[in-house]
Amino acid sequence: MNVEQQVPRNALIWMILSLFALILPHIERVPLWVIAVYVVAAVWRIQVFRGLWAYPRRWLKLVLILAASGGVFFSFGSVLGLEPTVALLLTAFALKMIELSSRKDAYVLIFLGYFVCITEFLFSQDILIVGYSLFTVLLLTTALVALHQPGQQRFNRGSMKLAGTMLLQAFPLMLVLFFLFPRIGPLWTVPIKSHTAKTGMSDLLKPGDVSKLSQSAEVAFRVQFDGEIPAFSDLYWRGLVMSRLEEGAWRSLRYWDVPAAERRMPELDAVGEPLSYAVIMEPTQQNWLFSLRYSQPASDGLLMLADYRLYSPIQIEHETQYRVQSWPQTPLDPELSAWRRETELALPAGDNPRTRELARSLRAASVSDADFVDRVLGYFTQQGFVYTLEPPLLGDDDPMDDFLFDSLRGFCEHYAYAFVMMMREAGVPARIVAGYMGGEINPVNRTVIVHQFDAHAWAEVWLAEQGWVRVDPTAAVAPDRIEWGLEQAVEGEGTFLSASPLSPLRYRDIDWVNALRLRYDALTYRWQAWVTGFNQEQQFDLLSRWLGEVSPQRFVTVLLLTWAAVLVPVAAVLLLRRRRHQLSPADKHYLAFCERMARMGVVREPWESPADFAQRAMRKLPRYRQEIEAITEAYQDLTYRPAPAPSSSGETLASLRRSVRKLQFVR
Amino acid sequence: MNSPISASATGKDATGAGVERLIDAAVAEVSRVVLGKEIQVRMALCCLFARGHLLIEDLPGMGKTTLSHALADVLGLSYNRVQFTSDLLPADILGVSVYDRDTASFSFHPGPVFTQVLLADEINRTTPRTQSALLEAMAEGQVTVEGQTRDLPEPFFVIATQNPIHQSGTYPLPESQLDRFLMRLELGYPHPQAERELLSKPRGGRNTVSLSQVIDAQGLATVRQAIDEVQTSDSLLDYVQRLVAFSRQSAEFAVGLSPRGALALLDCARTWAVMNSRRHVVPEDIQAVLPAVAGHRLVAAGDYAGDGQALVKLLMHGVDVVRR
Repeated sequence: MNVEQQVPRNALIWMILSLFALILPHIERVPLWVIAVYVVAAVWRIQVFRGLWAYPRRWLKLVLILAASGGVFFSFGSVLGLEPTVALLLTAFALKMIELSSRKDAYVLIFLGYFVCITEFLFSQDILIVGYSLFTVLLLTTALVALHQPGQQRFNRGSMKLAGTMLLQAFPLMLVLFFLFPRIGPLWTVPIKSHTAKTGMSDLLKPGDVSKLSQSAEVAFRVQFDGEIPAFSDLYWRGLVMSRLEEGAWRSLRYWDVPAAERRMPELDAVGEPLSYAVIMEPTQQNWLFSLRYSQPASDGLLMLADYRLYSPIQIEHETQYRVQSWPQTPLDPELSAWRRETELALPAGDNPRTRELARSLRAASVSDADFVDRVLGYFTQQGFVYTLEPPLLGDDDPMDDFLFDSLRGFCEHYAYAFVMMMREAGVPARIVAGYMGGEINPVNRTVIVHQFDAHAWAEVWLAEQGWVRVDPTAAVAPDRIEWGLEQAVEGEGTFLSASPLSPLRYRDIDWVNALRLRYDALTYRWQAWVTGFNQEQQFDLLSRWLGEVSPQRFVTVLLLTWAAVLVPVAAVLLLRRRRHQLSPADKHYLAFCERMARMGVVREPWESPADFAQRAMRKLPRYRQEIEAITEAYQDLTYRPAPAPSSSGETLASLRRSVRKLQFVR
Repeated sequence: MNSPISASATGKDATGAGVERLIDAAVAEVSRVVLGKEIQVRMALCCLFARGHLLIEDLPGMGKTTLSHALADVLGLSYNRVQFTSDLLPADILGVSVYDRDTASFSFHPGPVFTQVLLADEINRTTPRTQSALLEAMAEGQVTVEGQTRDLPEPFFVIATQNPIHQSGTYPLPESQLDRFLMRLELGYPHPQAERELLSKPRGGRNTVSLSQVIDAQGLATVRQAIDEVQTSDSLLDYVQRLVAFSRQSAEFAVGLSPRGALALLDCARTWAVMNSRRHVVPEDIQAVLPAVAGHRLVAAGDYAGDGQALVKLLMHGVDVVRR
C-alpha cells in the first residue's frame, strides 16, 4: 500500500480512544461480551499495527459477523428493537476496527462513529449525556484531523486542539441549524421502542405495585405553575382511573369497554379560577398523562377521556412537554348514567366474604353514603392499621380479607382497594385513581419535581349532588403522607429509598449536596424546556415572534441569510487575509522604524537590506545618524548574527525598542 | 566598499582580520594585471574559495584569459590552458593511452585536465561531446579514461570562458552543465582610466609582468576553514528560501532556482561574508553574489524579454529583505 493510503499511527490511537468513548455510555445496556469484543478489537488492531498479527481472513470475518448477530439474538431474544440493533451496530463498529487498513476504511469508521454517537440520544437526552457526546465528537473529529496529518508517528495532542477549534467554529452554524432548520416530522417511522423496563405507573394495579414503584428515586415529571403553587395536600396528580376489578387487579377502562355514547368527556361548567401549568414528562412508553383534577389541555394532540383523565394518542417515548389548565373545584359527573353507575358498582362475586360483611354492617349503621364513607375511614383509623412501604404478601383468594383482618399492614393501594371494594359492596359508586401525590418544590426555579416514590393510589366515590368526590383512605392511616410526603410517613421504618443507596435524594440532609441536586434539577428543567423540548410548535412560535409571519419564502430567506452571515465572513477572511507569520519582536520594531522613516520621507524599498537602507537614510537624514546607526546595528545583531548569549540578545532587543521609541517621538 | 557607514553598522566582526588581509593582498596582486576590475576579481576569488568552477562570459579580448592566469598565479597553482575548438576531442583534454614498444604495454599520457587550474578557453566553441567530457572532472574531481578512474589534483578549478551565445560558430552549453558552474561573471569594458593605464604601459613590459604567489596551500586552508565556520541565522535562511520560492512561483521564470542553486547562493554568500570580515551572513552578501550565482541558472519564461541579469534584478526586487 502506498504511503498516502496508510493510516497514521496518531490517527489510529485517536480512533481506538474514540472506540472506547463510544461504548462507555452504552455499557449498562449491552451484554458483557460486546465489551469483550471491543477489547479484543483494540488489541488485535494494535497487534496488526505492530506487525505481529495478521488482518482477519475472509472466512474469519464471516464467522465473526455470524457470531455477533447470533450473540445479539441470544442476548436479547431478537435482532429487532432498539437495544438489539444498537448492540449490533456497536459490535459491527468494533469488528470494522479490526479490518481497518486504508484511509478509506478509516473514513468509514469515523463517520460510522458519529452515527453511533447519536444512538445514545435514543435512550437519554440528559444534559450530561449531551456533554459527553460532545466529548466523543471531539475525539472522532480529532481522529479525522489526525488522518489528514500524514507521517504523524507519535501520539499528538495537537490534533485535538485543532479539532476543538474546528468544533468551536462550527458552533454558530449549529445554533443556526438548531433554531432555523425546519423540523420536519419523520418521513417514515421505525419501531425504536426501548425494551428497558421503565419504572412508572402501570394501568394494572395489584396490591404491592405502588409500594414497589415507590422504591425508585427517578423523576416522573416536572411541573411549572404559572402562578402560585397550590398547597401540598392538593397536589393529587391524576393519571389513571381504575373502574374494573378483574382477578384481583384493578384496571382502567379500555376504549372498547366503553359504549360509544359514554366515550366523550361531558361538558362541565368550570368552577373557580383555573390553574395553569406546564408539565415535562419523562418517557414512560405509555399513553396516560398526569394532571390535577378537571383539566383542559392547552397543547394540541391530547385528549380528555370520560373519566376525566388526560390521554395522549401517541406513546410517550421521549420527554414530552404539555400545558394544562385545571379547575380543581369543578364537580365531576353531577349525574351518573346507568351504564356508568353499573360499571362503578360492579364487583366479582364470591371472594373476600369478611370484607363484604364488614361493608354491609357499616353501611347498615350509617345514615347516608357520606356518613358511610366517614365510618369506613374511621374504621381504618381505629383498628390500628399501619402504613408501610414493605407490606406483607396477601393471599390470592381473598386478599382484602387477609389485609383487613390479618396483616393490617398496607401501602396506599391496599387502603384504596379495600375502601373502593367496601363502597361498591354497599352500593356506593366508587373507583380507584392512580397517579402521584405531592412533589418536591425546587426553590431554585419553583418547579414541582414529582418522583416515582410520590406514586399514590386513592379513591373517588360518587355522592349524590356532589358528583365524584376524592377520598384518600391513606390520609386516615398516615396523615403525614398527605401533609409532608412519603419520607416523613415512613420515617420510623427506615425504608425510604432503601434500594437506591446512591441517590442524591438520600443525602438531602447535607446542604451542599441538596443545593447541587436542586440546581442540577433546575438546569435539567431548562434544558428540557428549551432544548430537548424545542419542537416544531415551539420553533413556529419563536419564528413568528422574530419574523411576524412564517411563510416558506421568509423561512428560506432567513435560513439563507443566516448561513451567508456565517459563511461570507469566513470566506472573506480566507480570501483576503495574507498569510500571517509570527513576526519576531526585532522584525516588529524594525518595521516600526521603517514606518517612522517613511513618514520622514525615506521609504525603504523592499529589496533594500538594512545596511543599505541605513546608508541611504543617514544621507537623507543626517540629523538622526546616530539613531539610525544604533537601530540598524541592533537589528542586524538580532537578526543575522546567530546565537548570541540570551542575556545580551535581551539587552539588544531592549535597546532596539528604546531607540525606535525615541525616534518615534522626535519632531 | 568605502561606505560612510562604520564597521559596526555593517556588522563586521573584529576577528578574522588575517584572512581578510590575505584576500585583500590577493585582490591587489591580481589587479596589477586586470586593471579596474576589482569587483570581478573579488567575485572570481570568492568563487574559487567556495570551491566552485567559474564561467566567464564576454567578448574576445576583454581579459578573460589574463584574469584566469592571474588567479592561478596568485594561488600558486599549476595551470593548463585548453583552447576549445570545434574539432577538439575528449581525448585531447583527458589524455590518451599510447602503446610503448619498449615496454610492450600501453602507457597513459595524461591530458591537460590533470592540473589544478584548467582554463577552458571559449568552451562554447567545441561540440557538446567534448564539453561533456569536462562534466565528470568538474563534478567529481576525477577522470575516467578507458575504464580507469584517475583522481585529479586537489584543488581543482575549471575556469571556462565563453563568447556570447549569439556569436556564430558556438554550441551553447546545456543547462545541466551551466548548473555546474558556481558563478558566471561578465567582465565588461574597462573603465577609461584603467584602459588608459593599460595603453600607456610600455609595449615590452606588457607580457612580462609576473605575479607572485600570495596565498599558499596553508592560506587557502585557513580561508576555507573560516568559510566553514560562517554562521547563518534563521532570518537569513528565510530570506534565501523566499528568494528561491519567488523564482519558482513567478510567471516570469520558466525555471526557478534548484536546491543546488540555493546551496550555491548560500555558499558564495558565506565566502563573501568572510571576504568582508564577517563570521555571519547578512542579506547584502546574498545580494552581492546573487547576479553571479543566479544569472546563468534562471531561465525566462517565453513571454519575458529580459536576459539573465534582468531576471536577477526582478528576483531581487520581488523579495522583501525583512520578513513581514
